Amino acid sequence: MDIIVLIKQTVDMDQIKLNDSNEAMTENLPLKTDILSKNAIEAAVQLKEKYGGNVTGIIFGTEKATSSMKEAYAMGVDDGYIIKGYEKSDPLITSKVLSDKIKTVKNDLIILGNQSSDSYSGLLQGLLASELNVSLLSNAIKIEINNGNVDVTTESENKDIIMESPLPAIISVAQEINEPRLPNVMKIMAAGKKNINIEDADIKYEDDDKTLSNKAPENKRKKIVYEDNNGIDEIAKILRVVK
Amino acid sequence: MKCLVFSDNGDNAGEIISYFYKKMDIDVICNDSVIDYGADSVYKYSNGFSDNLSEYLLEMYNKNKYDYIIISSTNLGRQIAGIISDKLNEKCMPEIFSFEKNDKIVTKRFFYGGKTVLEEETGFKIFTISPGIFETKKIDKKSNLIEVKLNSSKYKILSEKQKSASGNDITKAKIIVSIGRGLGSKENIEKIMPLVDALHGEIAGSRPVCLDYKWLPEDKQVGLSGKKVKPDLYIALGISGQIQHLAGIRNAKTIIAINKDKNAPIFEECDYGIVGDLFSIVPELVEKLKK
Repeated sequence: MDIIVLIKQTVDMDQIKLNDSNEAMTENLPLKTDILSKNAIEAAVQLKEKYGGNVTGIIFGTEKATSSMKEAYAMGVDDGYIIKGYEKSDPLITSKVLSDKIKTVKNDLIILGNQSSDSYSGLLQGLLASELNVSLLSNAIKIEINNGNVDVTTESENKDIIMESPLPAIISVAQEINEPRLPNVMKIMAAGKKNINIEDADIKYEDDDKTLSNKAPENKRKKIVYEDNNGIDEIAKILRVVK
Repeated sequence: MKCLVFSDNGDNAGEIISYFYKKMDIDVICNDSVIDYGADSVYKYSNGFSDNLSEYLLEMYNKNKYDYIIISSTNLGRQIAGIISDKLNEKCMPEIFSFEKNDKIVTKRFFYGGKTVLEEETGFKIFTISPGIFETKKIDKKSNLIEVKLNSSKYKILSEKQKSASGNDITKAKIIVSIGRGLGSKENIEKIMPLVDALHGEIAGSRPVCLDYKWLPEDKQVGLSGKKVKPDLYIALGISGQIQHLAGIRNAKTIIAINKDKNAPIFEECDYGIVGDLFSIVPELVEKLKK
């Protein structure tokens, strides 16, 4: 079973501060592996442990992503590519660059997170499935391989569905699929010495949308906060009105 | 101008049709008979998967030359949006909650996990719409209902487990009492139920409560990855106020927070707050409400 896992590095969104004009300051923020990418890595490594094979990690981003690739190595990813030269977030571009790379790497299964934690767009899975002409199974909470097919328990809004599909396939995972492992120090040390292949992306791109603003939503809340056992009467009064 | 809407959820389809009604002509592909909201035609399908639905959507788009394709951002909707975007080589603007058309289209969506709102001017043709944002509004005129048969799919369903809908839909609730990690345990839910009952509210919870610890069913999860709610009153008990959670309650009219950590971010996003132990404050509030 040869598996590709797609990994995304994001800024640590909990660390974002706002400037005086309510805009997010994203310069020099710490970077981290997107949480759902860790679930995707864990799912890929678990499948390798169960069925044998090889896991290749691919990151589309910048050279700074080496830290995320090392983390993936420490978790059990065997080899990895960073394709650099792009700092924006455009699913169509991302899918073209990633699919060009994926076509050169032998694989039965591609695994990625269902939605990234910055934009929640969730488009990449469908873009890649279409571009690569492979099956698409989304929001997986369980993956099993059976006689050349893949059985995936997929979580939708009102039901869990076990779907069967031929391989090759692309599977997006939900956060509930697993608890990503915390590698031990030995594994982290070993991962630091492993080679990472870094390549340049071939991007033909024109900006065709224009950001008018990117600000925190205006906060019109009253923010009346009581301390030291105060405020019960005031809150009870409000509750009575609403009720 | 006309658009083609897709949703595999009747409520979400209704929200989208109501929002775009009179802004443009609307045809809808849905698995539900959503004929009351002002669409011209409703194409009702069954046994839809990402492959046969994408084929059908593309066929309709190519035949009827729609200006826009608008897809509800459900699990299936997002898959289809990606496939269509690739097939048409047209970019998709994801997860929008506002669409205004003047000379160009201006859309709004959350970014950085809900920390900011991105306002963008775009020439895109495909959009996904965040569910639960818009109000549905029925009109007198009914849409044409056309039953359609899709091609067969390469996917096979082996089994299906309906998630039991647990009580009422929190996106429609007027009063929500919502719990977070600060509640401590599932058993403690009964300690706050008297408040829920006294207010005739609905109980809901944060992501950890609903997904990680499973103290509440998944359909009670409020947040960017859960439900976006719009009650008159939202009471956050023991919820720290992660940004993803706050993005789900932006449309609440009044927010009350009770939390023992006075630095919890929820106090920056509430109308009224009490710093203190919710297990002593909640019974006191219930007592006062009885009077």
